[in-house]
Amino acid sequence: MSYNHHGGGRRKHYRDDHDDRRREIYDTPEQRLRKSIINLGEVDPVQELERVAKQIRQQVPVSVPAIAEGFRIGVTEQPFKIPYYAALLRLLHDPSEEPTEEEPAPGSPSLGKQILEDYWKGFQAFLDKLAWRELRLCIHFFAHLTVAGVINAQSMFELLRSFTAVLEEFGASHGRAMKAALCAAEGLMMAGPVIKQTPDVDASEIVATIKAYSDSVNSTKTLVQPVVKLFSGEPALEHADEILDSAIAALRILEASDFAQTADTFPQPYADFPPLDAEPFELPSVLVPPEVIELDGLMTEDGEDAQVKKEEWPAYYIRLFDNDITPDPTTPVGYAIRSGLIDLVDIFEVNRKECARLLLEFPKWMLPGTFKPREGAPYHEPVPGKNWDLETTVMETILGTIFLLPETIHKPIYYYTLITELCKLMPKTAGPAVGKSIRKLYALLADGLDVEIAQRFADWFSIHMSNFNFGWVWKEWIPDLSLSPKHPKRVFMQHAVELEIRLSYYDRILRVLPEEMQAPEAGVMPEEAPGPDFEYDDPAKPYHDSAQSVLNLLRGRAKAEDVIEHIQSLKNTLSESADGDVNVDSVVRSITVQSLLHIGSRSFSHFLNAIERYLPLLRSLAGGGIIAGGGNPHLEARMDILSAVYAFWKRSRHMVAIVFDKLMQYQIVDPTDVIGWTFTNGGSSSRPKSPNTFDAFQWILLKGALDKANGRVMIARRKVAALRKEADDNAARAKASDSATMEVDTEAKPDVIPAAETPALTTALKAFATLTREQKAALSRTLDGFVDYLAANPDANPKTREVITEKAWHARANWDEVEWETWETWCWYRHFARAYSPYLRNYVNTLAAVSLDRLETMSDPAVDLFKKTWNIATGQEV
Amino acid sequence: MAHVVTPLDQPSNYKDSQARVDRTKQNELLSKSTTLYVGNLSFYTTEEQIYEVFSKCTNPEEGGGIKRIIMGLDRNTRTPCGFCFVEYYTHAEALASLRYISGTKVDERIIRCDLDLGYREGRQFGRGKSGGQVRDEHRADYDPGRGGWGAQAQRLEIERRREVEERYADAQEGPGAVAGGGGDWRESEATAENTLKRARSPEDEGDSGRTGTRARLDDADHDANRI
Repeated sequence: MSYNHHGGGRRKHYRDDHDDRRREIYDTPEQRLRKSIINLGEVDPVQELERVAKQIRQQVPVSVPAIAEGFRIGVTEQPFKIPYYAALLRLLHDPSEEPTEEEPAPGSPSLGKQILEDYWKGFQAFLDKLAWRELRLCIHFFAHLTVAGVINAQSMFELLRSFTAVLEEFGASHGRAMKAALCAAEGLMMAGPVIKQTPDVDASEIVATIKAYSDSVNSTKTLVQPVVKLFSGEPALEHADEILDSAIAALRILEASDFAQTADTFPQPYADFPPLDAEPFELPSVLVPPEVIELDGLMTEDGEDAQVKKEEWPAYYIRLFDNDITPDPTTPVGYAIRSGLIDLVDIFEVNRKECARLLLEFPKWMLPGTFKPREGAPYHEPVPGKNWDLETTVMETILGTIFLLPETIHKPIYYYTLITELCKLMPKTAGPAVGKSIRKLYALLADGLDVEIAQRFADWFSIHMSNFNFGWVWKEWIPDLSLSPKHPKRVFMQHAVELEIRLSYYDRILRVLPEEMQAPEAGVMPEEAPGPDFEYDDPAKPYHDSAQSVLNLLRGRAKAEDVIEHIQSLKNTLSESADGDVNVDSVVRSITVQSLLHIGSRSFSHFLNAIERYLPLLRSLAGGGIIAGGGNPHLEARMDILSAVYAFWKRSRHMVAIVFDKLMQYQIVDPTDVIGWTFTNGGSSSRPKSPNTFDAFQWILLKGALDKANGRVMIARRKVAALRKEADDNAARAKASDSATMEVDTEAKPDVIPAAETPALTTALKAFATLTREQKAALSRTLDGFVDYLAANPDANPKTREVITEKAWHARANWDEVEWETWETWCWYRHFARAYSPYLRNYVNTLAAVSLDRLETMSDPAVDLFKKTWNIATGQEV
Repeated sequence: MAHVVTPLDQPSNYKDSQARVDRTKQNELLSKSTTLYVGNLSFYTTEEQIYEVFSKCTNPEEGGGIKRIIMGLDRNTRTPCGFCFVEYYTHAEALASLRYISGTKVDERIIRCDLDLGYREGRQFGRGKSGGQVRDEHRADYDPGRGGWGAQAQRLEIERRREVEERYADAQEGPGAVAGGGGDWRESEATAENTLKRARSPEDEGDSGRTGTRARLDDADHDANRI
């Protein structure tokens, strides 16, 4: 068994005297019992119930906490078994049939009840920690126990109500509200049949509260839908389902039938058990505690709160297939399947291989007939309205999770390699499910699939193909080569191929493409393999000799100061002979940077070695130290450096991003420089691009810079926290030893040391102030960039007003390059706003004052949409 | 969340056979390690390919990223010999690679990753007799991605892909041969534009946590004690 990681599988000749993990481990009886509970149902859950119940009863002495812990682990880590755990606990409420040595005192609670009481303590602990997933799964367990007659229905209803109470709190974050709502909704789906029969209880109240909440966040929803409708202020209903809305829809269906469908949705292995002849357990009343935010009191210089609170967004899961292939998540059973699969994928993130195995075993835990039987399995009558395709359902759910906006829960790569594992386990069925999904997603590209999702799609596609011999049937997309070169489908093809080349190499990928796509004119493959382009290599080119002289010094590993000296004299020489309109400073910077990149062009390590050796040279260049010019010499110098990098690596956008990253790391340029460069110069390499538009490559550079700025603040914050803790610890220790040695006047020396700031702490606080200033500058520069592109100047790109109208969108079949590029620009702005919203919120006033106020007097559709997006993302009134 | 399945980011029994620290100390170092040993690479896989895959586990917004990649080289021929070290800025990134990347294909070979005690001078070279990795000494199968037949059975394949193989001809030994990759942001560096006499810059060799290990060059290999 998978959890048994101490035996089997290891080579016998393995020897390591120090390896303590090799020793045999004997389980205590308690551990054995716990394992039995965890393993319940590995063969046949119903058959095993009696046996495990008996094993639990026979345990001497009885350890209720150990048994309850087994249940807690089982419920929260294997939610698919919850109905069976409920059945098991129900059985343990019956008096033991076999006489035991000690007769329990008459009237003493049953073993089952004792376990439930202990289990409740664990629930309370989850509540204190606000461990939402665990809470929700415990509520599943309680709900099943309610139907099994073990828990009092009225008290179950009250429990659910304490969760919907969260929705009425003032200022509850969406993440908190959503998770609380799901606890209540899912609990009601399972416990509905008995709650409905309880007098004086109105189940519809719960649904109504959730619905009211969900309606209140409608404008937010428009910003995270997978399919973009720039013209619409209302969430669209096609192609995706928001999880709360799905839950509400499923609950309404259940309500309409007085929860008759619950039995058709969730297994109820306890359904045939006789009624319990004891009073059902009353769940104590609870209060969902408020969110605890650990405040470290660190502020920016301007007194803004710099702490990042990740705000969660409505969760839209993309829908790709018809209701007869994968279940409709707005129906009870469809919702149950999807949320069951989502939980599995989330819980087993620690081991994608086991996760894949469990996903494929999922039908075992659902009612028979839910999924089509496997090939070779005994035939059984398909259940009308069910009989779904497992692999396709699993794939749709995982893809839904990959495409959550603004970001995934775990890293996207987890889900990619989880899919890889599924395909390895079930190549015949999972493989085709992947293919079908790719086709559906590809089709959605024409209908407004969000650009960030398109990006992740290409990312997944390339990783997946790199694990399966790059075998994709490209030829079915040949007809699309006649679309506009900036049509999302063509952008996708280019992007997917570019990523495949990065993972493999040019010739390998060229080989898998059909002839029609191999030609550079097709716009799929680049003209040649990615590589460096040393502008001055050709002796016929201007400055060839100058560049050679620099190159020779670098190759000979001349000292940095000697190179600096040489460049200075080179500048003087060039100035004498140059034409009036040549910017000699820029030329010299370009020669130097490109020469440096040239000696480092063999590999990433060679590049690192080259720049590390010549950091003083680079600093001197970047600081304008060598070359003084007019205007802002520093900024100009840094822009020149970045432009030189781009010129050198323009045939390898991957390298541009890598070099920019390290130039920021070595503090040659700042994140704000990179952002500025991206907006002013950052174009698509090798393919022409309209001015004032923003594409995926620019997004990668922008994201790299913003993340760098934000990451630095994070490091600085951690450093301050660590130093403060150290100081506090030292103070406490000093105080302790003081009071130990000088017991006489303990009260005379209260808190002497904490007030003192160590020099290290002073430095760290100063760094924090500088870095938050830079962070704000980076965000501000980005917002400014988008304002310029989209809203500030109607003449910059007249299409910005056009592409956001409904009419234009419906006529997109006629769109040309500039329309698609402009549409994409809008999408990237939206993504910036939602992805960085936790950071933007901290600085909302400053940023708006700097960038948005210049829009104040104007009112036109582009300005309105721009501001509306901003307001939604920063949590302001729309 | 480890009661039901074993997480993939648990330390394996990979170890540097030449590390001179005891098991407890090693475990302590591994629990903070930011470095991965990556094995079963093709000899032709480039650092950029490795960067592309391993960058999918980075957390730049937490201050992470790929610090450097150190390609394992044949001691004699200075050509890649099928392993590398990937060093991140944070431990969490290394763990994520164990969970999500180890066991998947890079350049069409299933690679394996292990936490490593951290790169030390000299570890970029293979420890086999022939200069490559020990596992390629004794390998009896034909593996086109790793130079064809095992080292003792082949020499001919080496002429393939001259460009790839000459890439590291200039590889140096000794201190400073391998770049640091850049350290944390520092106030001083931003303003130190004219301090030319700085020593070889980044400070990463001074990082705590790796000082306890020692490795010596001779006849053993990372793989020797692996499963």
